[in-house]
Amino acid sequence: MEILAMILIVAGLFFLIVAAIGVIRLPDVFTRSHAVSLTDSLGAFLLLIGIAIYEGLSMNVLKILAVLSLLYLQNPVISHATLRAAVRAGLKPWKEKAP
Amino acid sequence: MRPVSSQFLILKTAALFGLWIMLSAQFNPFHLGLGLLLSFLVAWINSGHSPFVPRFQLWGRILLYLPWLFLRIIQSSLHLTKLILDPRLPIHPRLIRYESKLQEPPAVVLLGNSITLTPGTITAEVNGQVLLVHAMDEVSGEDVTSGRLEAKIAQVFGDSDSRA
Repeated sequence: MEILAMILIVAGLFFLIVAAIGVIRLPDVFTRSHAVSLTDSLGAFLLLIGIAIYEGLSMNVLKILAVLSLLYLQNPVISHATLRAAVRAGLKPWKEKAP
Repeated sequence: MRPVSSQFLILKTAALFGLWIMLSAQFNPFHLGLGLLLSFLVAWINSGHSPFVPRFQLWGRILLYLPWLFLRIIQSSLHLTKLILDPRLPIHPRLIRYESKLQEPPAVVLLGNSITLTPGTITAEVNGQVLLVHAMDEVSGEDVTSGRLEAKIAQVFGDSDSRA
């Protein structure tokens, strides 16, 4: 059980690192927020599931699931608000140069 | 006295009480009694607001829709991971204007939320039924442009209209 939990947590950390790399590498606010959404969709999910398995069956698992469902409800709202602000401020999305 | 619609008061109390039990995890009479009292008070105080109609069938179908969405999230996450780690950074970001045929506002909300939840696509602006979606590349935006996601959500909401 502990090994499975560790694998899940490490996998979650991997996606968090990928998201951080993405935020650094990608060119503009639009593409960067895609990278950020990777953190909650897989990173936080795998991390929290790993912690839940590590905890074993208890009330804490329910709490972790509640945290997870709140994350999944609220993170889209945040990235949507960020991008809407960007669009309304007149930012143009980055485009690759025509070959 | 404030106008109290006693409709669904017990349902709301039960929902709040369930949350209380989950968060407190104490099963002695004092905590349970306090929780029951407080959840009833909160439900009662909040009972004058917007009309609340539970749609159990709809909620059930949304629950059944979530696993499918989750599968798509994992797939597009892996796709996005590949894009980010690729040394050439082969991204082709684009803005997609998508006009949805969904009638109910909750359906549009679910559509926008699902789009944003899927890595690689984010709803940037919603205006009535017109969505402005920013996609990382063609593959990421495929679910939106092909109308697959919308068809799924129409299925979730569609049946409830005919039954209502």
